[in-house]
Amino acid sequence: MAVRANPRLIDELELYGAEDVQKCYHCGNCSAVCPFSREPFLFPRKSMRYLQMGLEERLAGTLEPWLCYYCGECSEQCPREAEPGETMMSIRRWLTAQYDVTGLSKLFYRSWRAELAAVLLVALLTGAGFLLFGLKYGGGSLGVYAGPGAFLPASSVHVFDWILGGTLAALLAANCARMWWLTTGRDRRVRVPLLDYVTRAFLVPLHFVTQKRYRECESKRPWAVHFALVASYLTMLVLIMLFLESLHAAPANRLAHAFGYLATAGLLGTTLYALRGRWRRATPLHRHSHETDWVFLVLLVYVAATGILQHALYRWFGLDTAANVVYIAHLMGAVPMLAVEVPFSKWSHLAYRPLAMYFADLHERALARAASPAGAQSVPAAA
Amino acid sequence: MSVAASQRVGVFLILDDGERPPARGGPPGLDLIRSYSSQLPEVVRVSTLPATPRPDPLALASAIRRDTLEAVVLAGANPGALKPAFTRAMDLAGADPARVRLARFRRGDGSDRATEAAQAAVACAVLGVPYHLATIRETRAVHAGTLVIGGGVAGIQAALEIADAGQRVVLVEKTGTLGGHMAMFDKTFPTLDCAACILTPKMVAVGQHEMIEVMTLSEVIGVDGTPGNYRVEIRNRARRVDPAACVACHACMEVCPTIVPSEFDAGIATRKAIFMPFPQAVPNAYLIDAASCVYVQTEGQRCGACVKKCAKQAIDLDAEDEVVLRDVGNIIVATGYEPFPAEQVERYGFRRYPNVLTALEFERLTNASGPTGGRIVMKTKRFNKRRKVEEWVCDPEGPQPASVAIIHCVGSRDRNHNPYCSRVCCMYSLKFAHLVREKLPDARCYEFYIDMRAFGKGYEEFFERIKEEGVAVVRGRSAKVIEKDGRMVVRGEDILGDRMLEYPVDMVLLSVGLQPSPGSADLAALLGIGRDEHGFFRELEYNADPTGTERGGIFVAGVCQGPKDIPDTVAQAAAVAARALRSVVSGIERDSSGGLTAAQVESRARELATQLAAL
Ligand SMILES: Cc1cc2nc3c(=O)[nH]c(=O)nc-3n(C[C@H](O)[C@H](O)[C@H](O)COP(=O)(O)OP(=O)(O)OC[C@H]3O[C@@H](n4cnc5c(N)ncnc54)[C@H](O)[C@@H]3O)c2cc1C
Ligand code: SF4
Ligand code: SF4
Repeated sequence: MAVRANPRLIDELELYGAEDVQKCYHCGNCSAVCPFSREPFLFPRKSMRYLQMGLEERLAGTLEPWLCYYCGECSEQCPREAEPGETMMSIRRWLTAQYDVTGLSKLFYRSWRAELAAVLLVALLTGAGFLLFGLKYGGGSLGVYAGPGAFLPASSVHVFDWILGGTLAALLAANCARMWWLTTGRDRRVRVPLLDYVTRAFLVPLHFVTQKRYRECESKRPWAVHFALVASYLTMLVLIMLFLESLHAAPANRLAHAFGYLATAGLLGTTLYALRGRWRRATPLHRHSHETDWVFLVLLVYVAATGILQHALYRWFGLDTAANVVYIAHLMGAVPMLAVEVPFSKWSHLAYRPLAMYFADLHERALARAASPAGAQSVPAAA
Repeated sequence: MSVAASQRVGVFLILDDGERPPARGGPPGLDLIRSYSSQLPEVVRVSTLPATPRPDPLALASAIRRDTLEAVVLAGANPGALKPAFTRAMDLAGADPARVRLARFRRGDGSDRATEAAQAAVACAVLGVPYHLATIRETRAVHAGTLVIGGGVAGIQAALEIADAGQRVVLVEKTGTLGGHMAMFDKTFPTLDCAACILTPKMVAVGQHEMIEVMTLSEVIGVDGTPGNYRVEIRNRARRVDPAACVACHACMEVCPTIVPSEFDAGIATRKAIFMPFPQAVPNAYLIDAASCVYVQTEGQRCGACVKKCAKQAIDLDAEDEVVLRDVGNIIVATGYEPFPAEQVERYGFRRYPNVLTALEFERLTNASGPTGGRIVMKTKRFNKRRKVEEWVCDPEGPQPASVAIIHCVGSRDRNHNPYCSRVCCMYSLKFAHLVREKLPDARCYEFYIDMRAFGKGYEEFFERIKEEGVAVVRGRSAKVIEKDGRMVVRGEDILGDRMLEYPVDMVLLSVGLQPSPGSADLAALLGIGRDEHGFFRELEYNADPTGTERGGIFVAGVCQGPKDIPDTVAQAAAVAARALRSVVSGIERDSSGGLTAAQVESRARELATQLAAL
């Protein structure tokens, strides 16, 4: 099989944040210190090699970058300051762009202006849309926040949520399918039996909820922070998708609200922690920040803050008009955040990471099966 | 040659490879060179160019035409590389293509001397006067004696060459014996000659030479004078044993109560406070280590046991250090190296696991005259009754390793430590692998390397031979030594084999790199010579004068100038001897290209320029 090399690949990756790949002299130090690197998935050195050699197709088919959690050990120990950890991060961005069927991701990652413009555009559309909707089909008066005659009736917003959610899920699903094709489907070396797909499918929700592999890092703190963030988001998602009406209901549903408070606290706490880390460049994970990382974090904080404000204005102060205005402002952050980040940018990893664990498991099984009847050793030849 | 003073000259300062054009200020020295160049009356334009990419002759030609340049000077570390482009540009601009002149210099760390030399070179090129012509100094009579600092193989070789030519040498060695590192080795790569068989006769020859004055336990503490006539101040630490009287009967050593790690055995064996570094030491006599001697440390209050035992009455525990003066014409610096401290790379587990050894420790372990008689053994735990602690010792009867891993480039080629290649580690690691396979035919031996640097005569063949001997040579520097189920495990990526290795091993050898001897900075300041960015003494000219320094009459040889193996060290030492002998034999010191200020060189170049114009 002919292997095509793209000599510009390494320059391309520079746009995604990998700047020092060329310094690598392949000592293999990084792969050996990496707590996640084990056969048949050796990284990050091999990825450095693919980049230096311009093996675009290979790179697009690797699962390794999704198995890396950027503990930064490799970058710290690299004798050439080639930043293998940051390279893995950049490849994840690049892969996100490869999986994306629309091509928007490529645009956003290469130009933060484009991403920002998209966010603003969607925000304006959202704002205008809800305003018009409120005036025309809703209560018509900004002075009413909840109950009958509410400017934005919870039931309508709820429907909108489901439409948005459905669209995003469909887009993400298309990307995931492409990911499957690039990493597994087209790879002739791994033949995955259908049964494996079924019996191992539990890995996806397992990794999605627990992110348990992240815990294998030497320091448990990053996992804990990440877990808190995801748990908060999931809680929020469930609340919004299933209990929006009861959240809006005039006599407060205490249980739903309790969860809401918890989730909000979790969200704000973890995002502020991440922002502070990136600002101070305290850990290797936070030392290099791509522009898209900032956009993402700022949006997160904005959405959480406006969410709280909107809630406080209505529940605690009874300022319905202000609450309605802030609610629209909140939606103007939340909608573009979801619309841009989930299928096209950083947030898509919520699907890619668990999927990668799943695919990696399938690969491993397939390779082991291919190796065993031939009698070859599937485990490293330890003396 | 026409050298009209009215010429309009453009100076192009060419940056070093990889240097970017500075936004402002720029690297050390560059600004000073630039401002000096622009104040020369002939110079109408000074600009800075990166070394790459090569400039476009068309663009250059238009710049030359714009300033109506009649001559250009290319100044930098390797200006010749850009000469073709400029010659073409001059031609295109209608100027004389022959008037492209080069000023070669190395800015180095931007020291005053380097900057002065660079400015002088620019001045000469601007005036069209050969640098060497303008920098010849008035010749002066030279003192015939030579000082050699450092008694390793470099210093020994240089001293012998000069002394055998009938000239006087003073050899100053910091430790109690000649020999340096080579004396610790068992075999030398790639010939597997016995190191001692080569070195010992040379050491003895130095010790007995009527033209060589050997001072051990000594250090240079002051240097005065000018090239060709230096007065050197040397401190001789008290040996406290008279070498002329001592017959090395060991009686003193037996009664000495103090036990400390032996430096010569790289710490894998012990010695007493009164000791002989090794049986072939030169001078072949005992000495007292003041830092561990009970008598010296208690200022005569306690002990003194050895004095009573010595039948020859050779021991004088109250002897004091003394400072002596020597006049010499030339100084040869040969202070060698120290190994990279392996504990700095924590992940290799040096000092955490007893059987992780440094290269020097292994040299002593495998040495037939070492503490185990050359038997390669693992360290075993033993209870030290006196100090009441458990300690790991190399017992000559101890168990032998069944598997050994050798890790290359420890501390070398690593931006977290020393970025340079230490040049000898690949080869001595192969030598170790050979010794392991030879002495323990059943043992497995793994060699983890990044790149195999087998650059010397016979080295590639040596590498091939080692592979044939059944050593597992793994491309990939192993990254970690860890413990698993009570065994040491070396983890590393096998890059060519595309797999992750975890080899359980009994012994790990760390191939540490070389770095300048401690005290090099002080010595450089004392002598007025420069050091490179890694701390090795800087040679005057990398290609043309690798033994000279910025100061006339001071030369460098051996590893103190940069990592190298024994053959290169010996060759450089002999070359250095020739340099010293040249001035001694001719009686005149003339190779002092350093020392003159830029202003001095400039005014002499002007004089010469008018003389040349009048021809
Ligand atoms: C483990 C190991 C194995 C090696 N094996 C080989 C081999 O097999 N073959 C080979 O070709 N090369 C080998 N080498 C390289 C070899 O050691 C060097 O090339 C050689 O020893 C250099 O000699 P030198 O005289 O320059 O330095 P050194 O041997 O370091 O001698 C320097 C001397 O100067 C003295 N000194 C230092 N500072 C001062 C001071 N301020 N005043 C006075 N004296 C001072 C020191 O005490 C020392 O005696 C090996 C190196 C190592 C680390
Ligand atoms: S990235 Fe660094 S540690 Fe990894 S192989 Fe390259 S040089 Fe070695
Ligand atoms: S006087 Fe010093 S050298 Fe002599 S026996 Fe006592 S401790 Fe040892």
